[in-house]
Amino acid sequence: MTVPDIRMVGDDALSIEVDDPRHRNVLAEHLRHSGRWTDVVPGRRNLTVGFDPLAVSPAQAHAVLAGALEHAPPGTQSASEEIELALRVDPESGPDLARVADENGLSPEAFLRRVCASPLAVDMMGFMPGFAYLSGLDPVLRAERLALPRQRVAAGSVGALTGQLGLYALAGPGGWPIIGRIQEPLFDKVAASPFLLKAGMKVRLRVLGSSS
Amino acid sequence: MTLHVVRPGPQATLQGFARVGSRHLGIPASGPADPLSMALANRLAGNASADTAIEITQGGAEFEFRQASAFAIAGASGKLSLSGKTIVAHRTHFARQGDILSIGHPDTGFRTYLAVPGGFVADEFLGSSSTCLPAGFGGLEGRALRPGDELEFDAAMEPAASLETPANLRPFMTASHVLRCVPGPDYAVLDDAVWPDVFEITRRLDRTGIEIRGPWPHLADGALKPSAAVFPGAIQLTPSGNAFVLMPDAQTTGGYPHVLQVIRADRHLLGQVAPGDRIRFLRRTSEQAHNDLVAKTAIFADWLPGFRF
Repeated sequence: MTVPDIRMVGDDALSIEVDDPRHRNVLAEHLRHSGRWTDVVPGRRNLTVGFDPLAVSPAQAHAVLAGALEHAPPGTQSASEEIELALRVDPESGPDLARVADENGLSPEAFLRRVCASPLAVDMMGFMPGFAYLSGLDPVLRAERLALPRQRVAAGSVGALTGQLGLYALAGPGGWPIIGRIQEPLFDKVAASPFLLKAGMKVRLRVLGSSS
Repeated sequence: MTLHVVRPGPQATLQGFARVGSRHLGIPASGPADPLSMALANRLAGNASADTAIEITQGGAEFEFRQASAFAIAGASGKLSLSGKTIVAHRTHFARQGDILSIGHPDTGFRTYLAVPGGFVADEFLGSSSTCLPAGFGGLEGRALRPGDELEFDAAMEPAASLETPANLRPFMTASHVLRCVPGPDYAVLDDAVWPDVFEITRRLDRTGIEIRGPWPHLADGALKPSAAVFPGAIQLTPSGNAFVLMPDAQTTGGYPHVLQVIRADRHLLGQVAPGDRIRFLRRTSEQAHNDLVAKTAIFADWLPGFRF
């Protein structure tokens, strides 16, 4: 494979651009299993690895990563697992739905039909525990981050940005316009597997209630 | 053994190791905001650097010893007293049963660490006892301490003698900070004028981040990036016109421009930054930052074997 450019992220992390999310997830698994990195964190377009700067210098870490990339598997994973999630869309659950739909020249119902018909898949987890970035949102639908992030959005909230959805597993601050709320808990600290979603999973949304 | 929480102050949490290796699941590091001060307190209590201790924010805390026990305090310190008698930080103390430990508001610095022999019993999640407040796990039921909480610890390893932190290893508490930084991935949106400028800490600060006000460039469209990994010490420009430096409980990925990164060797200083404090940034290359870390670690190596910044 072509070895991508390696960039420093501060003094103890390195990142590489990897556009294809499926390849990004395979590469992340490969690097994680090598045991050479303190953390391996996929982003929306890149992959970042953390290293222990007491154990290795930045130049050494750079060389190790370059070597690992040359021997990385070229494959992509297939997203086989699929999950259906129930979406509440009353005004309290989806405070920005009406406005975002209107800005797209659509009724909330038509907007949601396009959301549910989108081939959604978990691109990456991150930001906060269990927070899932879903790719595949119908590109016709446009939405931008809020200029002022909310101090608190409810657990299960579904945010929409152009081309993607973000599922908030926990209540907390959030900058995405919220179009609804997932019924199922996305994070359960006492469960054997605390996260409902994982990178690569396909997601189908089903709208609940009378407002749809 | 039991320590009774009479008053926890504005915020007190149990902290131990930082969580490493699960940021791809969105799990923040947590752990002490000032790991050096926590390690120094633990040392005096006969513990390893990251044994579970109490992180106290802005003092105002009071605890009662249910049984006689050794303890130690490091970090920011206001007036300290044990059942009314003034005591000092950076020394092993021996409380009698029923003694009340009172930790006053610090004049400078922000966080105080209280360690007891053996460390406190706490909930383990993903290999660490550290409280993660945003997610509600670790520590004591994943939350900040409340009046009436009873904290268990095993004092079997009580230190035999009183220890004192060597004077040259005691961190200096100040209201004006110099933080060594390397340029972040989005440094290009900054002006080189950032280096001589002086910045001010606002009142918005907690274990997820610290807001920094100052002559940051105004980014018309917010200059948002595709979400990418961020780590504690990352300084991001937000659309409000202020910057945030990320702390141990911060999010694991973000889309705001990541303009600077506080170097590993200096991140512990962020734990003692208080509202109204002034900050300057000192430019380092990543190779210099590596050398800074090796040098600073060596200074503490004899007193704190195995301690990692």
